[in-house]
Amino acid sequence: MSVETVESSTGPTPRKGISILFGLTLLGLLLFLWLLLGFATNSFWTPNNISNLLRQGAMTAILAVGQTFVIITAGIDLSVGAVVGFTSVIVAWLLAAGVPLWLALIATLAIGVLIGAFHAFGIVRMGLPAFIITLATLTSLRGIGLLITNGSTISITNEAFTNFSRADFLGVPSLFWMVIVVAVPAYIFLHLSRFGRYLFAVGSNAEAARLSGVNVNRTTYLAYILSSTCAAFVGLLLASRIGIGNATQAEGWELQAIASSVIGGTSLFGAVGSVHGPLLGAFILATINNGANLLNVNSFWQRIITGLLIIVIVYFDQLRRRGER
Amino acid sequence: MIGLQEGGHRHELRTPAGHPVPKGEPILELHSLRKNYGAVEALKPASMTFLSGEVHAIVGENGAGKSTLIKLLTGVITRTSGEILWCGEPVQLATPNEAISRGINAVHQEVVLCPHLSVAANMFLGDEMNRRGLMRKRAMTDAAQGVLDDLGFNLPASAVLGSLTIGQQQLVATARAAMRGTQFLIFDEPTAYLTRQESEQLFRLIRRLQGEGVTIVYISHRLEEVFELADRVSVLRDGTHVGTRAIGETNEAELIALMINRTIEQIYHKEHFTAGDTLVETRGLTGPGFADVSLTVRAGEIVGLYGLIGAGRSEFALGLYGRHRLSAGEVFWQGRKVEIDSERKAMELGIALAPESRRDQGLCLNLPIGLNINLPVFRKLTRGLTINRAEEAANADRQIRDLKIKTPSRRVLASAMSGGNQQKIVIGKWLSHGAKLFIFDEPTVGVDVGTKAEIYRLFARLLEKGAGIILISSYLPEVYELSDRLHVFRQGRLVGSHGYRTASHEEVLAQAIGA
Repeated sequence: MSVETVESSTGPTPRKGISILFGLTLLGLLLFLWLLLGFATNSFWTPNNISNLLRQGAMTAILAVGQTFVIITAGIDLSVGAVVGFTSVIVAWLLAAGVPLWLALIATLAIGVLIGAFHAFGIVRMGLPAFIITLATLTSLRGIGLLITNGSTISITNEAFTNFSRADFLGVPSLFWMVIVVAVPAYIFLHLSRFGRYLFAVGSNAEAARLSGVNVNRTTYLAYILSSTCAAFVGLLLASRIGIGNATQAEGWELQAIASSVIGGTSLFGAVGSVHGPLLGAFILATINNGANLLNVNSFWQRIITGLLIIVIVYFDQLRRRGER
Repeated sequence: MIGLQEGGHRHELRTPAGHPVPKGEPILELHSLRKNYGAVEALKPASMTFLSGEVHAIVGENGAGKSTLIKLLTGVITRTSGEILWCGEPVQLATPNEAISRGINAVHQEVVLCPHLSVAANMFLGDEMNRRGLMRKRAMTDAAQGVLDDLGFNLPASAVLGSLTIGQQQLVATARAAMRGTQFLIFDEPTAYLTRQESEQLFRLIRRLQGEGVTIVYISHRLEEVFELADRVSVLRDGTHVGTRAIGETNEAELIALMINRTIEQIYHKEHFTAGDTLVETRGLTGPGFADVSLTVRAGEIVGLYGLIGAGRSEFALGLYGRHRLSAGEVFWQGRKVEIDSERKAMELGIALAPESRRDQGLCLNLPIGLNINLPVFRKLTRGLTINRAEEAANADRQIRDLKIKTPSRRVLASAMSGGNQQKIVIGKWLSHGAKLFIFDEPTVGVDVGTKAEIYRLFARLLEKGAGIILISSYLPEVYELSDRLHVFRQGRLVGSHGYRTASHEEVLAQAIGA
């Protein structure tokens, strides 16, 4: 018994504190980048640029939150970029066909729900790895979108819809407000409801969760539906922003989303993640891109820097976790 | 050693280092060999001698220290203290490579080869035949086939290993070890998955290896095999070497007596309650891994299930709990016929399961203790949309306090806890759930003596409140001393039932082994 006492008294610091600390480190990094760019450029702290930055980061941030739900269950959703492009086509198509705006929005989100349900079906019923089923929809959805548009784009003439993304509310871009509209319920869901706990439990040990009465299949459906619905929502925002529906849009956004999530402290092995982490991760990435543009850094370098940043941040996160064990 | 006829020239595999020892002289000697895991003594100072060219059987119950001994000899773990002499010289045996290079090899119960490669590729794995950097696949297949034919195994060398039965894979693993210039070969319950015919092929191989001067250590539960093969037999019990006998000077009864005749130093806390109403009754229950099991659990009693690992006890428990689909039989819950088709259904009836493997089935290791404890009851803790955080914390803290889980906080990860404390978390999950039937599957494996006693006292508290318990254990004294009714399983079937201490240990063990 004495051995156990020793073990537990040197046990890890409560993890909640660490999670907050990590969040603060990321926030510090973000603020540091902003300060740095403020000194290095004249144009960073202009209202125009800040609005631009918030718009740039918003869509990745929403995708990253959805992606995080899936990664917490130890899964992955590679399809989100394709879903964004596909749903931008759907909403443009519906509007062009004269469907009322409200119905077009709801129908597009419903398509997102269906795509997520299909992913979970493939995983739960067909036993496919998440990587495979979402990779398959990634390519198929782009194909379907191109078939619908015959390879071109559909313009959106509904001004109420296209004006939305350019509008500000209380001086803040409406796109950024959308991040809050998603993040607040997401926070309640993940951190305050029992379904959030179930996501973590399934990601940590699905068998133990099952034997504790957790409906693992339903939890899987929930995670993938949330991710795809977030992606469909981003599809609406993108369509509004660029005023067209185009199946080839948002190429590679799934990797941006995964990168944001991982930078935000989500573990690809599952069972570790938060809502605020991916948000910060997305805005750190957006800041780097924005700053690189302002500093006239070759855009090829931006990609390299992003890659290095992922390695460094995740490496330190791993170190921290190892210390925790 | 088995040479390989290949394209006219003989492919001799490497000869191990060390000096040849004449037959009958000590090849491997253990002097006060000891292994501790923390406070747990897995192997108490043991001194044994293995003679060159003998078949030396080792018998003992689960947890007697057999696998610890194998791991020490094959360099998988290092000893806490003591000395190992190989051919008369002290050796470290610190790594598996060192053991192999000295000619010590083991064939494990579960085959550790690459299932996606061919039989030949597996036999040559790590020791491929090359010509200018390219593998000579044909030559290896032919050579491997030669060895297999030579040994009388009817196996194709080009087949993918995974397509063979476990028994056939075992034979391949043995052939592989035989090719590698082994002087000392350990078999760890090799016949557990073998058919009788495969077993006989294996025995032929063992005798043949023995004829070529290889020393064989043969670990098995099956005493008839020990008497068929071995020259000498050593008995381990509770991590202690209790004796070695020449096979001609002993019999099954003596070996069984040596295996279980332990000084009962632990006190099995047992309180007797008047059995109440029947909680659950199964009639002819059949599912994956068990068949035709009929038994009854009443309130206030412990029903023990004893058997060897793989006898179908855990499978029965998982079947009753709704984890696996039942193919036949009926379940009655408090007199009412029920269909338990999901874990959720079992929980709602009032069944709780503390499963066999804490790591694989019991715990979300990289999540906090509190989340693990509350996992079955989050539904109860939910108010409206969200969890009542105060109640969540209070429930976790109450279990931590009541069960004396040694942690500074409920937020510590379950992985940071010792085995005993982890077991308490698994049990604590179910105490606030309001279950009536508790199934404890191997609740004291890897648990220290103090925690064991606490768990036994907890059983009494549960019984007092009118619960019933199914206790599954491979440790005979535990089920023997605690069970009001003791059922013995063998090969998926219930083969014997006894009242509280009505049968002798020998009788129960004989039923479980099928001797």
